[in-house]
Amino acid sequence: MTTAIDVTGLRQSYGDFEAVRGITFDVRQGELFALLGTNGAGKTTTMEVLAGYSRPSGGSVRVLGLDPVKARRQLRPRMSIMLQEAGFLGDLTVAETVELWRGMAKDAGREPLTGNPIELVELTSKAKVKVKQLSGGQKRRLDLALAILSLPEVLFLDEPTTGMDPEARQRTWEIVRSLREAGTTILLTTHYLEEAERLADRLAIMHEGVIRIAGTVDEVVATSGDQLSFRLPERHELLPAIEDRPPSIAGGRAAYKVYGSAHGAMRELLDWADKYQVDLERLEVRPGTLDDVFLRVAKEAK
Amino acid sequence: MKTDALHAVRLARTDLKLLGRNYVALFNVMVLPLLFGFLYLQMTEDPTFVLSGMPGILLIFTAFLNLVNTFTARREELVLKRLRGGQSSAAAIFGGAGLGALAVFVFQVVLLIVLTNRYAGALPTNPVPMIVGGLLGVAVFALLAAAFSGITPSAEMAQLTPMPVLIVLMFAAPLAWPLDQMPAALEIVSRVLPVTPVMELMRAGYYGASLGEMSVYVATLLGWVAVSALLVKLFFRWDPRHN
Ligand SMILES: Nc1ncnc2c1ncn2[C@@H]1O[C@H](COP(=O)(O)OP(=O)(O)OP(=O)(O)O)[C@@H](O)[C@H]1O
Ligand SMILES: [Mg+2]
Repeated sequence: MTTAIDVTGLRQSYGDFEAVRGITFDVRQGELFALLGTNGAGKTTTMEVLAGYSRPSGGSVRVLGLDPVKARRQLRPRMSIMLQEAGFLGDLTVAETVELWRGMAKDAGREPLTGNPIELVELTSKAKVKVKQLSGGQKRRLDLALAILSLPEVLFLDEPTTGMDPEARQRTWEIVRSLREAGTTILLTTHYLEEAERLADRLAIMHEGVIRIAGTVDEVVATSGDQLSFRLPERHELLPAIEDRPPSIAGGRAAYKVYGSAHGAMRELLDWADKYQVDLERLEVRPGTLDDVFLRVAKEAK
Repeated sequence: MKTDALHAVRLARTDLKLLGRNYVALFNVMVLPLLFGFLYLQMTEDPTFVLSGMPGILLIFTAFLNLVNTFTARREELVLKRLRGGQSSAAAIFGGAGLGALAVFVFQVVLLIVLTNRYAGALPTNPVPMIVGGLLGVAVFALLAAAFSGITPSAEMAQLTPMPVLIVLMFAAPLAWPLDQMPAALEIVSRVLPVTPVMELMRAGYYGASLGEMSVYVATLLGWVAVSALLVKLFFRWDPRHN
């Protein structure tokens, strides 16, 4: 598989503040890669460098094998970005806005989306409304329509579903999936980890300008062990340490975070319960989640 | 190149549509300069002279002030950021803005020619210097507007930052008095300003002028194109976040 996006040792500074501090990753052709991370981690900065908004202050980036700044002219028709924040010409209607963008794509030699992008993002009833009158979530949907209507080979989506209601979010996921199935390479950022879990082939979690962990969703989640928890028994002072760690106790429950699988830990726990004739009420085993990994990454750095 | 041209035309058409929906801008571009013209007409005995020079003043409103406002507002509202991330090149975005201004300017000049004919019975005899002066004038003032938007922090301030330029241009432009009747110092200033060559080339369409004179005016405007392009490079900003 060929590489569509290649980032090597990327650094980006604003004045003397270094927002991105040497990150390396690649996205293969037709893959959906999610860039996750805390606020201010440098996700938007990275995306904007890839989209050719600014030259990196260090390292190198390639999109479809080209330098996004130097080869801007060649790259422009082949890629598209849905910015985290961007304005519209407020006095144009939704339909006029889409028409302007569709026209520009055609002028640039693209064969734009055949269907109606306004229908696709379910804004049909707002087609004749001025853009400045749209709600936040509706604007976000229009944003999505503009980003995809040129059917780009590489698509950058910077928090596409922020501000969308659950239904619009589902719709967006469907659209993103179908683009991916059609072979579009997609780089996505989101704070909805469920979104990344559902859509991403691979992901990276950033914090303060550095990638802390990366891999497939399964690989990343696997770094966080399962969790065993149960209602705190009366004789809890006798609870054993499992894998050399004492239970954490909160809200009337005891919990063990285990490395890897819960299988062995469960056996140890049940043996202990048998020995002391304790009934482990409301016993639960929960696999590790992306949330766990994310929170760990954010905490570890402090 | 072809894509740029197509994009510029598309953006210019959009600008004209938007101008039609923005009554404040429409007043500033269409009505205000006519009011100024009317005022000047009251002070002169030679209406052809004043009216034939008016296009220079129109440019200040149509191209300069209007575009300082547009560029600044669009930057602050992150519209420029969106455009720049889209299919159009910077050249197409600037070109579109210039072309929109040019369309309005051409309309105004034609209107002026009709008015001059009605009011003073004169008609231009040579359109060539008028066309050259008009095209270069729009280019200079559109570029200057882009540069000025860079030092204008907000759309509200867009009324203020171009004021010094406006005052100098209006005061020193040879609108009511010919250049050679100005005090020597003022004449020197006036000759290097970008409005003056536009006005003189427009007048050359009515009164005729020597090739030598016209070349000097064209050269002055070309110089201004270079200077203002440099100013754009130095000051223009696409994104409010990047300072
Ligand atoms: N133009 C700028 N000038 C100065 N600092 C900036 C600028 N742009 C971004 N930063 C800083 O760079 C860091 C990274 O910003 P960035 O927008 O890339 O974060 P992010 O990961 O996208 O965050 P979020 O999840 O909140 O969108 C932040 O600390 C931010 O304050
Ligand atoms: Mg961001």
